[in-house]
Amino acid sequence: MDDATLVDYAKTLDCIHCGLCLNACPTYKLTGAEPSSPRGRVHLMRSVAEGTLQPDSEFAEEMDFCLLCRACESACPSGVQFGVLMEHTRAGLQTERRGSFFARAARWIGFRVILPSRFALRLVAFVGRSAQRTGLTRFVSRFGFARALRDAPTIPPSAKRALLQPMTPARGEPRGVVGVLQGCMMPELFGRVNRATVAVLAEAGFESRVPSAHVCCGSLHAHNGDREGARFLAQKTIVCFEDIVDASGHPSPIVVNSAGCGAHMKDYAHLFDADDPWHERAHRFAERVVDFSEFVALPRTRAALERRLRDRPSRAQAVRVTWDDPCHLCHAQKIRSEPRALLDLLPGIERVEMRDSEGCCGSAGIYSLLRPDDAAAVLEPKLQELSDTRAAILVTGNPGCQLQWSAGVKRAGLNVRVAHIAELLDEALQHGPIDPADRNA
Amino acid sequence: MEPKIADGLRAIVGDRGLTTNATRRATYESDGLAHVRQVPDLVLMPRDTRETAAALRFLKEWNVPIVPRGAGTGLSGGATPVAGGVLISTARMRDVIEVDSVNRFARVQAGVVNVDLTHACADHGLFYAPDPSSQKACTIGGNVAENSGGPHCFKYGSTTQHVLGLVFVTIDGEIIDLAEPCVDPLGLDLVGVFVGSEGLLGIATEVTVRLLPVPPVVETLLAIFDDLDSACDSVTDMIAARLEMSAIEILDKHTIDAIEASVLAAGYPQNAQAVLLLECEGSDVEVAAALRDIEPILARHGAYDIRRARAADERARLWAGRKGAYGAMGRIAPDLYVTDAVVPRTRLRELVRATTDICEKRGLKVANVFHAGDGNLHPNICYDRRDKDELARVLDAGDEIMRVCLAAGGSLTGEHGVGLEKIEGMEWLFSHDDLAAMCRVREAFDPKRRMNPGKLLPMRACMETRSAVRPNEPRNG
Ligand SMILES: Cc1cc2nc3c(=O)[nH]c(=O)nc-3n(C[C@H](O)[C@H](O)[C@H](O)COP(=O)(O)OP(=O)(O)OC[C@H]3O[C@@H](n4cnc5c(N)ncnc54)[C@H](O)[C@@H]3O)c2cc1C
Ligand code: SF4
Ligand code: SF4
Repeated sequence: MDDATLVDYAKTLDCIHCGLCLNACPTYKLTGAEPSSPRGRVHLMRSVAEGTLQPDSEFAEEMDFCLLCRACESACPSGVQFGVLMEHTRAGLQTERRGSFFARAARWIGFRVILPSRFALRLVAFVGRSAQRTGLTRFVSRFGFARALRDAPTIPPSAKRALLQPMTPARGEPRGVVGVLQGCMMPELFGRVNRATVAVLAEAGFESRVPSAHVCCGSLHAHNGDREGARFLAQKTIVCFEDIVDASGHPSPIVVNSAGCGAHMKDYAHLFDADDPWHERAHRFAERVVDFSEFVALPRTRAALERRLRDRPSRAQAVRVTWDDPCHLCHAQKIRSEPRALLDLLPGIERVEMRDSEGCCGSAGIYSLLRPDDAAAVLEPKLQELSDTRAAILVTGNPGCQLQWSAGVKRAGLNVRVAHIAELLDEALQHGPIDPADRNA
Repeated sequence: MEPKIADGLRAIVGDRGLTTNATRRATYESDGLAHVRQVPDLVLMPRDTRETAAALRFLKEWNVPIVPRGAGTGLSGGATPVAGGVLISTARMRDVIEVDSVNRFARVQAGVVNVDLTHACADHGLFYAPDPSSQKACTIGGNVAENSGGPHCFKYGSTTQHVLGLVFVTIDGEIIDLAEPCVDPLGLDLVGVFVGSEGLLGIATEVTVRLLPVPPVVETLLAIFDDLDSACDSVTDMIAARLEMSAIEILDKHTIDAIEASVLAAGYPQNAQAVLLLECEGSDVEVAAALRDIEPILARHGAYDIRRARAADERARLWAGRKGAYGAMGRIAPDLYVTDAVVPRTRLRELVRATTDICEKRGLKVANVFHAGDGNLHPNICYDRRDKDELARVLDAGDEIMRVCLAAGGSLTGEHGVGLEKIEGMEWLFSHDDLAAMCRVREAFDPKRRMNPGKLLPMRACMETRSAVRPNEPRNG
């Protein structure tokens, strides 16, 4: 690959060097360094494409340091498509990168063996759980990976890792059929969020269908430079959901409870060239993809839930909650008001805004695994913002953020519950008052 | 550059405060004036006054040029590096040191971003008035150096009216502490001298600014016009009628189209030829009275629709569109050249026309968005810097606009500064004696003229030929 194709040159020209994106960028705020800013990164890409700069190790480092949070896109009036630019560059760098044998093997196993296979994912979860229970992880951590292993999430017992049923019927008057993405890692780490998702959909009158052959949407692949893998998994995803239709044969909406996956699936078309037939197919698929909060906040669905929630018992003292906008919900999908409107339906809560709620928490897909120190540094100021809100519950809509916040809250010794919005809605529908403590913990 | 310099600086600011790597340095090669470029030899990011002073003391013996940089949003090349020089960035000086809500002032480090200062005092019901359209990114230090303005400076005045005190470090590493917030400085007003000096007199490290109480009522009007001329004329009339508004901005059709196509779509009507964005602030009675006076003037000049926004989010949307206008124009072409000219407000219509003609005559696409209340025009010219011929036509148009505005009794720059861009214009506007006097002020602080050489004051006037430091010409294009 030559340097000209390493970068999507035409898209770099959208940047007029105004700098309005600087202060939105978490890595710039952390370092104050221009090369670690969106403008700096676009400048580097453009210089490489124009041949005035070599794509050396510093170049690669800046591309890796980026969280791909896309906050710069929300700030940029000139419409620079930063996410697409960065995915392109990372894919280019990946084909050139040598790296150690160990790193390449780990990457290959992770992306090509584990993520696409339900069996492998379940096996990893099983082994991981056993290791955590027997204290083996503590033992192993003496030999390295201390931080990753210490911050690794606790894998729930197997009963809580059950997959979703292929079909969950609506409760009460049925209003339609939806496809539900259960995700690759979600069942292993957040089975409860998946169960809450279909339960809320059922209460709202929707039958959930989960294609059992489907495993991974491929967003981690695309964000980390494996475009080939991403394309393959996109095609598989499109096929798996194609025959989920409603009673009259219309393709059903596909509800996604992970902001990162949803953003990527809505963007599938850009993985394929315009003249590839998959481009059009991906486009049609994307139109069906909706985020969980986006779908549930639609007027009729919301009205149905509101009716059910109205007579739920409340509590005397309101519980303070705050919403942290996942980057791939607010910056990538432009979804901001919907989750807030849903939280406002919950009985006995007081919703407060957190400053910089649209700033990245540092989870960023597998970023927190690859660069744990940077990820923790990005979260640091946000932990302060959280504690300033005096909220008892921090609500999010993305599993990666949920993990990152849980680890951060624990580290900082804050007494804050971290929950997915589907869990809270489900809890309110089942029990009424929201519990400031985690019922499942 | 001599490796010993890097070693010495590293001992002062640490690894994270120094950039030597060529790839990383390349990103500093320009500010918002993107067609002029020069990679700095070193980039230094001190964390406070002490580190800045130590670094400058150390650099004194090496006799290299120094260029201060804030966020690099400047549009006149003030922060363009100088060959063989060290760029000193304030991007790691971002602490709000103190907000005194009773005495209504704040002390901040120079690298604090304008909008972060406003957020920091919002809880006290106070705000910092100068609001450049780049406020989301530009630094207070940069604002001080450029004496920046903004839409609301029509009412509140530009940065210089809001700076109460300063700490700055001279080229020799001496700390000049003028941080005490005093309304009427005793002795020589050095703060006043420093504001607007475009980084020639030293590096500001701390700034004490005046804070104002947030007005109880704010109302924003959007007046929609069928032609740009009438919008200009209505402003001339409002000024003549001595109406008290806090901001008067005009956006033309091209600008409206670009904004409405961007993430900042503000709901400006796309069939309008021009819109006027007006704001009134004060008590309920004052705002009502002002609106009563304004509306007939707008109507007389043919505003066919007047929309009012009182809710905070609606107002925010109207302003976000205005403030993102420059960036939004980036959708039209890869580069944008923002000219910054000041004209008498009695001749707005005529000179807006003239600037448009100057551009169109050269086959250039121009969009107008400007601080009409201050007579501060910003014809934005779209171009592609890779096209050398087009770039030449753009610069030529910029020159002619400057001459026409000067001839009409206007000025060189309203708020973006002289920098590299308008240095020739200084010789059109000032006599040799004027310039020599300015140079003597500069030399009182920096006898060898090592601080930001080649900016603001023309070399010839300062007799730079006998200077110890001879910056190379930055490359163009
Ligand atoms: C989209 C856009 C809109 C803009 N709108 C406006 C506007 O409405 N009004 C307006 O006035 N300007 C505007 N500008 C111009 C620019 O933002 C201002 O000039 C701003 O004050 C520059 O701040 P900065 O931190 O980016 O400084 P830089 O661009 O980094 O530097 C500007 C100058 O200040 C010097 N400098 C920086 N920091 C210091 C310091 N600490 N001590 C001494 N010297 C220093 C530099 O050497 C340079 O000469 C706009 C620019 C853009 C890109
Ligand atoms: S805001 Fe957009 S156009 Fe401006 S510097 Fe950033 S990426 Fe470039
Ligand atoms: S995606 Fe996020 S981290 Fe990357 S440049 Fe944009 S704002 Fe910065």
